[in-house]
Amino acid sequence: MLRFWNHRAATGLLTENPEIDKESAHLRKALKNEVKKKFAGSLAIRMVDSGSCNACEAECNALSNPYYDLERLGIYFVASPRHADVMLLSGLMTFNMTPHVLDAYKQIPEPKWVITLGDCPVMEAPFEKTFALNAPAKEHLPVAHHIPGCPPEPLAIIKGLLAFLKKID
Amino acid sequence: MRLIARYAKENETHFEIVTVYDVGLEKEKIPKDAPVLHSIAVKHPAAVWFERKIHDDFGIRIEGAFDNRPLVHQERFPSGLYPMQKAFDKTQIEEDPYKPYAYEAIGGDGVFQVSVGPIHAGIIEPGHFHFSQAGEDMLHQEVRHFYKYRAVEKMLEGKTLWEAKAVIERISGNESIAYQTVWRDILLEASGTELPVSLRKTHALLLEMERLAHHFTDLGFIPNDAGFGAALAYGSRLSEDVRRQLKALSGHRFGFGAISLEGVSMDREAMSEWIEEITSRLDFFESWINDIPSLWDRFDTTGILSQQNALAYDTVGIVARASGVAVDRRATPFYEAHGFAVQTGERGDVSARFKLRLAEAKHTLEMMHNLLDEKSEKVEAGSVKDGEYHSFAESSIGELFMAIDIKEGVIERFFVRDPSFMNWQALHLMMPGNIIADFPLINKSCDLSYAGNDL
Repeated sequence: MLRFWNHRAATGLLTENPEIDKESAHLRKALKNEVKKKFAGSLAIRMVDSGSCNACEAECNALSNPYYDLERLGIYFVASPRHADVMLLSGLMTFNMTPHVLDAYKQIPEPKWVITLGDCPVMEAPFEKTFALNAPAKEHLPVAHHIPGCPPEPLAIIKGLLAFLKKID
Repeated sequence: MRLIARYAKENETHFEIVTVYDVGLEKEKIPKDAPVLHSIAVKHPAAVWFERKIHDDFGIRIEGAFDNRPLVHQERFPSGLYPMQKAFDKTQIEEDPYKPYAYEAIGGDGVFQVSVGPIHAGIIEPGHFHFSQAGEDMLHQEVRHFYKYRAVEKMLEGKTLWEAKAVIERISGNESIAYQTVWRDILLEASGTELPVSLRKTHALLLEMERLAHHFTDLGFIPNDAGFGAALAYGSRLSEDVRRQLKALSGHRFGFGAISLEGVSMDREAMSEWIEEITSRLDFFESWINDIPSLWDRFDTTGILSQQNALAYDTVGIVARASGVAVDRRATPFYEAHGFAVQTGERGDVSARFKLRLAEAKHTLEMMHNLLDEKSEKVEAGSVKDGEYHSFAESSIGELFMAIDIKEGVIERFFVRDPSFMNWQALHLMMPGNIIADFPLINKSCDLSYAGNDL
């Protein structure tokens, strides 16, 4: 560890502030305000993958990287649906996952919202309907908002969450 | 002899079982009425999932198998339906009453079961893990998957190779470019097209970019699962840098659509500078992480896969190489001419897998310099000829195998074996002797795909 601190002292500051462009700075501010207004400063999201290719999940994970760092705006991805306000649903609602998705939704306390993420849950991805798929998700759950993309990029997810927050009372 | 895949197809008069080994493939015909297949699981334990899948897909009974439980068809799947049979044409099925699945469980005084999943406590894909516990110690673990089963194999039947591409590149997001690469090789072979060297280099470069993005994510997440969150901040930043660069090169952060025959124009000098920049950041990460003893306390001797087990279970990719098994589909004259050498580890524990990812990422960055090519040649694929084709690529997880039969210009049978399909079956071997709190760490050190496995 000593070697590390010596190295750090010798090389100077390495965690430089990554360039934040004006648009995303503006978005961040708006998002923080909306979360404060509508969810008392803390919006808890339970992300559920109902049969995606994992790219939507990777982009949601990217929201926590130092470029976006969504948590400091009061948006948390939580481990249990019982801690959640919102279910963020990706994937094609496979036959095998459907009962588990519905179960997770039941566990979320009221008031609750479902946001669909990516082209899969609305059946707009290139996947064709097969017997193994139950998408579109809106036939099974009350969907409040949709964030399109394949996968939606982190900035698109941030914009989508902002649009959702502006939509609800 | 290493087992690569085992799958069935239905012809007009019979079922055909194809078993692919590293030394070649074997074909076996079985009759359509009361079809029976003899298990090879005694010799190759990893054949178990292939054979259970063959049963679920085609209704072929497996004789001499020690595991006859359904694999793809879960508790509510209608019995007696075999969707890969040509006669099956349903687009909607109804749920059956719940039929409990008999998990592998160890009994005894004080031994208890822990069920985890399919929905996990994080932003991860769904799958189920079933543990037999004696206190904190894991006695046994069973992996149960196929929650993401989308029936991709059935979906692609009757499509042309070009129509199938958009789905193939979305089978497993982390391995999209590898999937496109095996698709490309089948297209080239089926149409008798020669790929210009510059384009081959560019495609290989893109595949290495995908490997970097995936390895960097893991280099952050593995320490994070041992409670060292700072590494995740650094690793995820590196990974974001690669995704942004991949978007600049291919127009997409995951490289969907990146492998095209149109050619990619790139600024060789700018790309070279970018590689240098990432290399220096990775060097810093390495010297920093190597110097944190409490982290290596968690990594060392955790989740060991012995070389013997790695061989017995026909594992591939990082998992196999970290246990000293040198399997890598990049060991070809083309890659070797551009500086590739297989990287291996020895001990087969979490630390071996972590170090191997680090070594491979560094090696990939070196190799990328040699793959840079300013020429942007394009090629046009001729018309596709009927036949049976197969191809391999090394994805960020391991060896990827794809087989496509083309009949009358369209796909008659589509089969793909994700590297994860082999390695998931070996995961349980890493558990005995470890505590359940180390399971996420061990699992992450392998970082396998659920989507690619479940199809």
